Amino acid sequence: MNPAGLAAVGTPRQPSKRRVPVSQPGMADPHQLFDDTSSSQSRGYGAQRVPGGLGYPAASASPQGAFLADPVSNMAMAYGSSLAAQGKELVDKNIDRFIPVTKLKYYFAVDTMYVGKKLGLLVFPYLHQDWEVQYQQDTPVAPRFDVNAPDLYIPAMAFITYVLVAGLALGTQDRFSPDLLGLQASSALAWLTVEVLAILLSLYLITVNTDLSTIDLVAFLGYKYVGMIGGVLMGLLFGKIGYYLVLGWCCVSIFVFMIRTLRLKILAEAAAEGIPVRGARNQLRMYLTMAVAAAQPLLMYWLTFHLVR
Amino acid sequence: MAFTLYSLLQAAPLCVNAIALLHEERFLKKIGWGTDQGIGGFGEEPGIKSQLMNLIRSVRTVMRVPLIIVNSIAIVLLLLFG
Repeated sequence: MNPAGLAAVGTPRQPSKRRVPVSQPGMADPHQLFDDTSSSQSRGYGAQRVPGGLGYPAASASPQGAFLADPVSNMAMAYGSSLAAQGKELVDKNIDRFIPVTKLKYYFAVDTMYVGKKLGLLVFPYLHQDWEVQYQQDTPVAPRFDVNAPDLYIPAMAFITYVLVAGLALGTQDRFSPDLLGLQASSALAWLTVEVLAILLSLYLITVNTDLSTIDLVAFLGYKYVGMIGGVLMGLLFGKIGYYLVLGWCCVSIFVFMIRTLRLKILAEAAAEGIPVRGARNQLRMYLTMAVAAAQPLLMYWLTFHLVR
Repeated sequence: MAFTLYSLLQAAPLCVNAIALLHEERFLKKIGWGTDQGIGGFGEEPGIKSQLMNLIRSVRTVMRVPLIIVNSIAIVLLLLFG
């Protein structure tokens, strides 16, 4: 019952969060995830819409003039549109129960610079020093402001690109048929689901107090598709040698990336600062981090080796 | 590798059925995994074994009714479509 352990139990969240200084010039309002481009957009499109719009009313006025003048059909249209508006309201209210839309929006608040930096980090994580996510008033900063934050844009795009590249690879070997695309996508998604369930089960069994949410986990596990795409493309261009070289490089990079990222989330604060802590609890957490990181190269190989001949 | 989402969908009821089958009195107590034996004092953190026992007991309690429904649907579908 050491005091450090009790203190750790009392504060389940990692206390060493970095507070972003409020007066940062680049961030207008960190709670606003997306830039407000409404004014410039309406100005730009308004001029373009007018000449295009002039054609339509003239064409549609004549045949529909008689139709719309009828008061009964007017009422029917008004009723129909109000019904549609009610339905849309109902869907909007209830969709939040099943899919956490506002939480998902955070993971898609990215910009080009973030994507570029993150992709560079995924293939070369060795020089990056500071892996901690910045916080602003207890909520993590949006990905566009911090390169360490997880996002779902890169995993989603990489997954779709992986399916397309798999189709391309199969096509160059005369093995393509359209249902194979669905099979590849389904297989990759099934492995992702198994991984997420296995990691959630392990986190529950080892009683880790972490703020690693399920969506975060999906984001981290989706980063391996980037390496897989690179490997398969090199395999298409340069044969098996290119495939093994690039896949080997991406496997090692993803391994290092996952360890450095998950160490901050799963392991206790002391271990996160680099001090190796001996203790059964931290050892189990270290094993879990290593196991998760080691599963990534294995799955990257398993999902791509049949595509490169 | 024909590991698809559908095979996951087939495996899930099988696995949950397997956990729900473990009888509390006839089996779990015999191997020392009964839930009344496990929970000791208020230790700082429960070990893996007690977490597992809790998990098995909660799965058995929570999934009993949904499993009845899912199994019935599976039986009907397999009888109809093979």
